[in-house]
Amino acid sequence: MSSADKKVAVVSGGAGGIGAAVVSRLAQADFIPIILDKDEAAGREVLAELGRQEGRGLCIALDATKKSDVQRAFDRVLADYRRVDVLVNLAGGALYAKLIQDFALREWREIIDVNLKSTFLCCQAVFPIMKAQRQGAIINTASNYAVTGSASRTAYSAAKAGIIAFTKSLAAELAPYGVRANVIAPGRTATPRVMGNYDAAGWAAASSQIPMGRTAEPAEIAEGVAFLAGDESLYMTGQTLHVNGGMVMP
Amino acid sequence: MNRLDGRVAIITGAGQGIGKAIALGMAREGAAVVIAEINGGNAQEVQSELQESGQRALAVPTDVSREESVLAMVERCLKEFGRIDILVNNAGIYPVSPVEEMAEEEWNRVIGTNLIGTFLCSKAVVPRLLEQRWGRIINMTSGRAFQGAKDGAHYAASKAGIIGFTKALALELALCGVTVNAICPGVTDTAQPRGHRTEEELYGMAARIPLGRIGQVDDLVGPAIFLASDAAGFVTGQTVLVNGGAIMW
Ligand SMILES: NC(=O)c1ccc[n+]([C@@H]2O[C@H](COP(=O)([O-])OP(=O)(O)OC[C@H]3O[C@@H](n4cnc5c(N)ncnc54)[C@H](O)[C@@H]3O)[C@@H](O)[C@H]2O)c1
Ligand SMILES: NC(=O)c1ccc[n+]([C@@H]2O[C@H](COP(=O)([O-])OP(=O)(O)OC[C@H]3O[C@@H](n4cnc5c(N)ncnc54)[C@H](O)[C@@H]3O)[C@@H](O)[C@H]2O)c1
Repeated sequence: MSSADKKVAVVSGGAGGIGAAVVSRLAQADFIPIILDKDEAAGREVLAELGRQEGRGLCIALDATKKSDVQRAFDRVLADYRRVDVLVNLAGGALYAKLIQDFALREWREIIDVNLKSTFLCCQAVFPIMKAQRQGAIINTASNYAVTGSASRTAYSAAKAGIIAFTKSLAAELAPYGVRANVIAPGRTATPRVMGNYDAAGWAAASSQIPMGRTAEPAEIAEGVAFLAGDESLYMTGQTLHVNGGMVMP
Repeated sequence: MNRLDGRVAIITGAGQGIGKAIALGMAREGAAVVIAEINGGNAQEVQSELQESGQRALAVPTDVSREESVLAMVERCLKEFGRIDILVNNAGIYPVSPVEEMAEEEWNRVIGTNLIGTFLCSKAVVPRLLEQRWGRIINMTSGRAFQGAKDGAHYAASKAGIIGFTKALALELALCGVTVNAICPGVTDTAQPRGHRTEEELYGMAARIPLGRIGQVDDLVGPAIFLASDAAGFVTGQTVLVNGGAIMW
């Protein structure tokens, strides 16, 4: 089969902990994975581990908070593959844990930008592509903190709640073209970045707060993403799927 | 490789509509299915349809609102298939009357079928699920739980109750490998909405649904299989809305 027959999935933040699992899961579902990430080396590593052939996967380095970078990336994808069937926005993170009086505006804005603005920019860039195809699925990433909030995470909670409301609005705009937009909301997930914030005892304590008694594996988040990306969820749009072991039940 | 190979699934109200579609879908994925349905004739037909295509199926005439009927159904299932892995609490009724005129009997019937039926079937299978430390319970709620229902206060209450019940049971079973989730269909093309809407009203609703159409029973099958599969092992206490964007939660 030539690559022109295959579906294309773009994963922003695809070089990260959850990203790598999502890229691998979508490749398994026969999508050509395209990673957009500021960490190009890590992105190439993810593709190498999949054993991707030349032309059957791509990593594009970018700052997803910069409109010109994002536009250039989607122009490249369109030139090389002519379509985008799935967009998963994972670039993001809490970045700082600080009480509000210690938060510099620059830091606060950085969190809003890397989570919320990057999501907006990638969705905006993919909109005309999916609209023309009259087909596509977008999955944006929130967090249980979007619902509960969290002391020392004011910006992150606001950004992730913003992503949910943004996605509902976008879903309504895209629905006439048969394009869907949903949210995946991971609970605490065992990625190197997140585990790095805890010592062993702290991680065990954090895990025991979760009703299922453990944290999520990145592969479990990837299963939720694959469900929202595939035809099984064809009648779902504007929804949020929480994969969190019962930590939050909105 | 099928996602539900070796599993045994009980689907209540599977004689027609959404429940039947889920039963056929789960059978396609390899599960043996029990059609626990009050309408014995319909249950029998679904069983025949499945068996003719080589699938394992058992029709058990059941009234989910009566404990002895539920216990007998679970016994039959165990005798026939030896285990239970998945329960879909789908049986439901939706008569209409304003609260002012609502007969206590009708209130009892709606709460008894939709909410107490969900409790009774869950209670009857939980010991098995705990024993094997693997299980899936999927409960059918409704958009009426979120938005209320004119002339359907009992239905709205029962469906909101199901969401609360889902969360509580999810917490009780969280450490035991058993997940409990709800599916919330939008208006779906079955007999049920025809009990309180004309054909014209039913299809006219498409204009108010972002994806531009009302639901078909097959729209619910993928989400039910996802929640029943290993893939959703860390999803519990959640409500998955499958409604074309009619309500975004
Ligand atoms: N891990 C968790 O516990 C958890 C829980 C809830 C939500 N999330 C969310 O899931 C997503 C992925 O999280 P993760 O744990 O895999 O984090 P991660 O840090 O491992 O991955 C994030 C990826 O995004 C990339 N990235 C960051 N800023 C970027 C930018 N400006 N431009 C392009 N790429 C950029 C990083 O290089 C990295 O590869 C994030 O949105 C995070 O908020 C994670
Ligand atoms: N169709 C919709 O628009 C819609 C929307 C939201 C939620 N739902 C819910 O989805 C579920 C399935 O609905 P449907 O549309 O397929 O309805 P339906 O009326 O076509 O099917 C319901 C089935 O449940 C059976 N049943 C009723 N009482 C029973 C009892 N006491 N014991 C055992 N079986 C019993 C009926 O005989 C019937 O076969 C219901 O819980 C309903 O409330 C439906």
